[in-house]
Amino acid sequence: MLHLPYRELPAADPGVADRRSPLRFLIWLARQQLGTLSLNALFGIGWMVSQALLWAAVGAALDHGVAQRNAKELYLWVAVVIGLGLFQALCGALRHQLAVTNWMNATYRTIQLIGRHVAKSGTALTDEIPAGDIVNTVAADAMRIGGAFDVLARFIGAIIAWVVVSVILLSTSVELGLIVLLGVPILASLTTPLMRPLHAAQAAQRETAGRLAALGSDTVAGLRILRGVGGEEVFLQNYRQQSGRVQRAGNRVATPQAGLESGQIILPAILTGMVTYLGTRDVMRGTLQVGQLVAFFGYATFLTTPLRTAIEYFISTTRGYVGAGRVLRILNVTPLVAEPVRPDTWPEQLDTLEDQRSGLALRRGQLVALVTETPADAVAICDRLGRFVPDVDGVLINGHALSNFSVTETREHIVVSDIEPRLFSGELRHELIPHGPNTDERILKALYAVSALDVLDGLDDGLDATIEERGRSFSGGQRQRLTLARALLTQSDVLILVEPTSAVDAHTEGRIAQRLREVRSGRTTLVATTSPLLLEQMDLVYLVEDGRVSAQGTHSSLLASSPAYRYVVLREES
Amino acid sequence: MSQLPIAETAVVRAHARSLVRQHRRDLIKMLVLYSLAAVMALIPAWIIGRLINFAVHHQLTDPLITRYVGALFLSSITYAGLSFLARRRSYILGETVFAQLREEFLASVLTLPLVEVERAGTGDLLSRTTNDIEALSRTVRFAVPEWLVAIVQTVLTLVAMLLVSPLAALAGLVSVPFIFFSTRHYLRYATPGYMRERASYATMSGAVAETAEGARTVDAHRLASRQSERIDGTIRESFYAELYTLLMRLVWFPSVESAFALAVATTLAWSGWLALAHHLTIGAATTVTLYVVQINDPVDRIVAWLDELQIGQTSLARLVGVSVVRDDRPTQGPEPTSELITLHEVHYAYRPGHDVLNGVSLTIQPGERLAIVGPSGAGKSTIGRLLAGIDRPRSGSARIGDVEISQMPLTTLREHVALITQEHHIFIGTMRENLALAKPSASDIDIAQALDAVDALEWVQALPQGLDTELGTTGYQITPGQAQQVALARLVLTDPHTLVLDEATALLDPRAARHLERSLAAVLHGRTVIAIAHRLQTAHDADRVAVVIEGRIVELGTHDELVALEGEYASLWRSWRNEGPEAS
Repeated sequence: MLHLPYRELPAADPGVADRRSPLRFLIWLARQQLGTLSLNALFGIGWMVSQALLWAAVGAALDHGVAQRNAKELYLWVAVVIGLGLFQALCGALRHQLAVTNWMNATYRTIQLIGRHVAKSGTALTDEIPAGDIVNTVAADAMRIGGAFDVLARFIGAIIAWVVVSVILLSTSVELGLIVLLGVPILASLTTPLMRPLHAAQAAQRETAGRLAALGSDTVAGLRILRGVGGEEVFLQNYRQQSGRVQRAGNRVATPQAGLESGQIILPAILTGMVTYLGTRDVMRGTLQVGQLVAFFGYATFLTTPLRTAIEYFISTTRGYVGAGRVLRILNVTPLVAEPVRPDTWPEQLDTLEDQRSGLALRRGQLVALVTETPADAVAICDRLGRFVPDVDGVLINGHALSNFSVTETREHIVVSDIEPRLFSGELRHELIPHGPNTDERILKALYAVSALDVLDGLDDGLDATIEERGRSFSGGQRQRLTLARALLTQSDVLILVEPTSAVDAHTEGRIAQRLREVRSGRTTLVATTSPLLLEQMDLVYLVEDGRVSAQGTHSSLLASSPAYRYVVLREES
Repeated sequence: MSQLPIAETAVVRAHARSLVRQHRRDLIKMLVLYSLAAVMALIPAWIIGRLINFAVHHQLTDPLITRYVGALFLSSITYAGLSFLARRRSYILGETVFAQLREEFLASVLTLPLVEVERAGTGDLLSRTTNDIEALSRTVRFAVPEWLVAIVQTVLTLVAMLLVSPLAALAGLVSVPFIFFSTRHYLRYATPGYMRERASYATMSGAVAETAEGARTVDAHRLASRQSERIDGTIRESFYAELYTLLMRLVWFPSVESAFALAVATTLAWSGWLALAHHLTIGAATTVTLYVVQINDPVDRIVAWLDELQIGQTSLARLVGVSVVRDDRPTQGPEPTSELITLHEVHYAYRPGHDVLNGVSLTIQPGERLAIVGPSGAGKSTIGRLLAGIDRPRSGSARIGDVEISQMPLTTLREHVALITQEHHIFIGTMRENLALAKPSASDIDIAQALDAVDALEWVQALPQGLDTELGTTGYQITPGQAQQVALARLVLTDPHTLVLDEATALLDPRAARHLERSLAAVLHGRTVIAIAHRLQTAHDADRVAVVIEGRIVELGTHDELVALEGEYASLWRSWRNEGPEAS
C-alpha cells in the first residue's frame, strides 16, 4: 500500500477545549492544526498568485512575441504560461487536499468533544438540551465549524493575490493600482447588504424545509397506523400544504440569491470597465503596450475570484462562529452528580443499603421487592439508592453516607437498570458484558435465566450478531429481556431492577421470576414491580405509600394482611 | 428484511423526460434567457480584441474608447440583468419540480400496501424520505440549473470562438480528451465514494444520538468510554470515506486544471503563430485566447456537477421505486353478508418451509370476546395479522362472512376490522387531527364522545389548548399511556365491528392498563374483540380463551372450562393468582 502523508483521524485524544467563548474555541481549534493550516495557506497563495501572474505571461507573449513579431519570444512566454498553469494545478490540488484535511480536523475534533461529553454527562445534558438538538449540532454545526477552516487558507491566498495584483498595477500606473487596491475591499463590502436578505430567506427556507422533513419522517413512522386506520388523504393534504410553504420559501430565496450572483457579476465589471478604459487611454498615449492592456483586463477579471472567496469566507466564518456557540452550549453542561473530593474507601463487603427517608433497607443476599402505587414513586427511590440524583441524604451503605463514596465505585457495585434501559449498536456479546470477563457460557446462562435463548436462535450469527442502532431490530419484549440479561451479567453486589418484565408475556415472566433467585444467589437484589409472578419469589416485599414503607412481609403474608397491597397487586377493588 | 424496489434506469429516465415535458415552456424560457446572458458575457473579450486592433493600427481616439468601453459596461450590465432573471427563473423552476417530486413520492408512500410497509420496515422508507429527498433537493435546486447554465455557456463560447476564427479555435479542443478520460475514470469510482461519505455522516449522528438518548443507561453501566470509542469509530469511518474521495480528487483536480492550462497555452501559441503568419489579427488572437480562458469555468462546472447529478439519479431511482409497488387488493368488492369470522385450516409462513401457523381453525361469533394466549413466538400475533387482513394465509382461508379478508377493498376492510398493536404513534399536528384521521368527517362532539369512551376526555380538555394542542415530536409531549388512549379513541371513531388488540396494553403500566380495559369494555360492547393477551386478567374477562402453542390452538374454551381442564392455561393462571397446584 502506498504510504500517504495523512495522519489517521480522529486523534486518540481530542484535547481539552477552550470553552470560554465561541471565538476562543475557534482559536483553540486553529491551534490544534496550525501546521496544516499554514501549509494550506502557502499553497492557497501559490494557487491564487499563479492565476494572476498567468495574465502577465499572456500579455508578454502578445507584446514580445506577436506585436514585436518575434516567434522565439512568443514560444518562450507560452512555455511560461504552461509552467504557471502546471504550478497552479499542483498548488490547487494540494491546497484542496489540505483544506479538506483542515475541515476534517476541525469537524471531527468537535464531534469527538461532543461525543465524549454526551457519553460522560449522564442525563444532565439531555435534561437541558433535547437529544435532537445535540444530534443537529453534530450533523450541522460541527461541519460548519469545519467549513470556516476549509475556506481560511483560500482567503489568505486571495488577500495576497489582491496585494500582488495591486503592486503590479502600481508599478506601471499609480491610478490603476489604486483603483484595484481600494476597489476590491469596497466592492466586497458592497455585497454585504445583498447577503443579509439572502441569509434571512435561506434561514426561513431551512426552517420550513426542516418542518417538512419532520412531517415526512413522521408520516412514514406512523405509516402502519395510517394504512391501518385511515387518514392518508388528510396527511397527504398536510404534507402538500407544508410542501407548498417550502416551495414559496424557496422562491423567496430565488430573488436575493440571483441578486447576489448578479452583484458578483456587475461589481467586478465596474473594476474591469475602469481598468480597460484607463488602460486603453494609456495605450493610445503610448505609455502602455497592448499586451499589458490584455494583462490588465485579465487581472481585473481574475479579481472576481478573490472577491468571491472573501465573501465566502465571511459567510463561512459567521456560520462557524454561530456553530461554535451551539457546541459550547453542550460542552458547558456539567453532570448532575459530582465526585466527592476525598471519597471514602469502598467497603470490602456491602452488608446493608438503606434509604432512611422511605424506610427501605436491603441486606446482603436478599431478594427484595418494592411495590408502589405508581411507577414514578419506585423510580424516585431507586434513583436515590443508585445515586442518580444529587440529593441522596439518608442513603447509607453499611451505615455510612452514600454521598461520601466515589460515584464510579458506586456505579460499579450498585447497578440500577431503569424503567426503559437502552441497547446500543455493537456486537451482541460485548453489549451483554461491556466490562468482561465474557465467557459465552456465562452469557448463555444469563440468557437462559431471562428466557431469551429464543432471541439468540433468531439471530443468524448468534452472539457474534451485530445489534443495530438502539437495538431497533428487536421487539420491545426482546429488548427488555436482553437488557435484563446485561444487568444480571454485571454480577454487581446490589442490583436494582425497575419493572424488568413489563413488556414480556405471562409465560415468560413466570419463567424469569423462577430463575431470578438462582442467578442472584448470595447477592442483593431489589425489584420494583407489581407483578404477582415476580412478587411470590421474593424474600421480602416492601409496600411504599406516599414515599414511606407502609407494610412489609412476604407476598402471601401481605396478600392476607394488607388490603392496600391487594388493591395495588391484584387490582381488586377495595 | 426485504427492501422496497429501486426503479430501473429506463424508468428513471422516462420519469425525468416526463418532468421535462411538463415544464417545457418554463424550461425553454429559462434557456433562452441564459443564452442571451451568455452572449452578453462574450462581448467584453471581443471588445478588447477590437481595441487592440485599433491600437496597433494607431486608430484609437477618445470618443472611440468611450464608445467601446461604454459598450463593455452596457454588455456587463445587461449580462448581470439577464443572468438575474434567468437564475431567479431557474431557482423557481427547481423549487417547483422538487416540490412536485416530493409530493408525488409521499403520495406513493401513502398508498403502499400494508404488507409491504410491514415487510420492508420503516428504516428503508425513512431513509428515502429523508436522505434521498435531501440529496435530490441539491440536485434539482442547484445541480441541474447550474449544469444547464454551464452547458449553454460552453456551447455559446465555442460558437463565438468559431465565429472569430474557426482555425484558431481548433487549439482549444486539445484539452477535451484529457478532461473526458480523467473525468470518466473519476466518476466511475467517485459516486459510490460520495454515497459512502453521506452514509458515514448519518452513522456519526446516529452514534451520538443513541448515546444521548440512552444517557441513563450509559451512566448506569459505566459505558461512557466505550460509547466515546464507538463514536470515534464512526468518525474514523467517515475519515476513510472522505479520504477515498479526497485521493480521487488528488488525481482528478490537477488533471483537469492542467488540461485547462494546456488549452490556454496551445491556443496562445497557435493563434500567435497564425497572427505572425498574417492569417489572423492580433486582436482576434487575443479574443480567442480570452475565450479559452473564459470557457474553462463553465467546463469545470459541467464536470464538477456530474457526481452530484449521478447521486441525484440514484436518489430519484429510490424515490420512483416506491411508486412501482402496487397494491393488488381490489378497490371494489362484495360486502360480507355476515360478521361471522372463520379461519379454516390456516397455514402461514414468513420464511418458506418455516410455518408459524400449522392448521389453525377457529370460528368467532359476532360480539364475542376471544382472548388468545400463549408464549412468545407461538403465532398469536400472526393470527391477528391474518384477521386484520395484513397478510393472507399460505393455505386455508380467513373470512368475514363469505368474503376472503385479503380480497376486501381497504376501505371496506377498515369498516369491518381494525388491528391495534402496542406500537402507537402520535403524529405531528393537533390533537383533533390526530383523532380525525380515523374519520375525517368527525365533529368535535364525535371526538369528545370517543375520548370519553376511552376515559381520556378529562386530560385532553386539560391540555394547554384542548383539542387544538399541537402534539408529536415537535409539540406537546403526552405520556405513552395517553398515546395509547388516543390510539383507542381513533378506533372508536372508525367504528369497526371487529377489533384485534395485539398486546395493546403491554407497554402501559399495569394499573393504567386495567383502568383502560375497564373503560374500553363499555365501548367494545356488541363488538367482536380478539385480544392477543399478555395479561391473564384479559383472558379471565373474555368469553373464550384460545391457547396457542407452536402454531396450533391447543386449548379453546371459557376461562372456567380451561381452568378445569388442568392444562397449560390452568397452571399459568394458578401461578398468576399465587395458588400452588396443591391449593386447588
